[in-house]
Amino acid sequence: MSENLEQSFVLQLKENQNIIHKICRLYTSNEDAHKDLFQEITIQLWKAFPKFRGDSKFSTWAYRVALNTAITLYRKSKRSINTIEFENSVHFIKQEDYNFEEEEQIKLLYKAVQQLNDIEKALVFMYLEDKNYDEISETLGITEVNARVKMNRIKGKLRNILNP
Amino acid sequence: MIDELDLLKKDWKKNENSFQQISENEIYKMIHKKSTSIVKWILTISILEVIFWSFINFITIDENHIKTIKIYHLETFMNVFSILSYVVILVFIYLFYKSFKTISSTDSVKKLMSTIIKTKKTIQCYVWYNLGMLVFIFIVVIIFQITYDPNINKAFESLPKNATPEMFWLLLGLSYFGILLILFGIFWLFYRLVYGFLMRKLLANYNELKKIDY
Repeated sequence: MSENLEQSFVLQLKENQNIIHKICRLYTSNEDAHKDLFQEITIQLWKAFPKFRGDSKFSTWAYRVALNTAITLYRKSKRSINTIEFENSVHFIKQEDYNFEEEEQIKLLYKAVQQLNDIEKALVFMYLEDKNYDEISETLGITEVNARVKMNRIKGKLRNILNP
Repeated sequence: MIDELDLLKKDWKKNENSFQQISENEIYKMIHKKSTSIVKWILTISILEVIFWSFINFITIDENHIKTIKIYHLETFMNVFSILSYVVILVFIYLFYKSFKTISSTDSVKKLMSTIIKTKKTIQCYVWYNLGMLVFIFIVVIIFQITYDPNINKAFESLPKNATPEMFWLLLGLSYFGILLILFGIFWLFYRLVYGFLMRKLLANYNELKKIDY
């Protein structure tokens, strides 16, 4: 593949890398696994890049490939197994407006989301990313109505975990 | 009360840019690394399977084997069978390639899963075909062996006096059946292990998606 293509890909990926990081955050529970999944997503994006025509935004296109990789294509490599989970993987930076009670709730919420299955995580991810139900249903390949129903069930599930 | 997910969203947005950034250099390195995806695994296993079965089909042609085939009057049968094997391998390779090419990471999650499952099924069909053929040939060879092999007659004649012919055939039948069973057992175990391990996550997610849509 030409160097230009490679350069263009690397630049766009660098700009949009937070999308991949966010998916890795939901689908992995330690730093090594995060890196491993990030790498596989990058490889899959690169493989699909020659067919990326630019008629959609790079980020929109990357969402799709990255989610597909996390849910379906990715297989854990050996080095990501048996590493210690990092505590509170969620909060890398302490915010100034620190609210203890809310912070505890958020921690619990992240833990609860980690317990969801891959498909539920995908729904949560797209919800957090402000995707509309039209896009959610198209990305997953389910109907819009069923995507809404499932989303409500997930909300209920999370509520139950928080308020048993 | 604020929705739980909206509380999470607030935090999610707040921490959106808190990830340690990967440099251009690192991305360059990453894109030259090998993928460990499920599709890569399926491709590798499929190639090994085709090689294995081609090997099994064609390794057996040595001098001794040809002699035995002549004794058993199976020459024509084996010739037809060899040609058939070539044709079938070519057809399966074509079908597998066609199915493999349709796997696209830009499809919807459900579509991607179903194309992977379809590709895997194609190669599994090839395996079942081979196993079926193995049993078929086994049975044909047994029938012709019993009819034409002088060793069987010798063995029959040298039976101890108290053994009945029924016992002889029963014993022979049982040992053939035993061999078949062991052979099938090995393959079954092999596929359970390989595909069970490989496909478990994918099938679970696929069923979850299907469940949502019903």
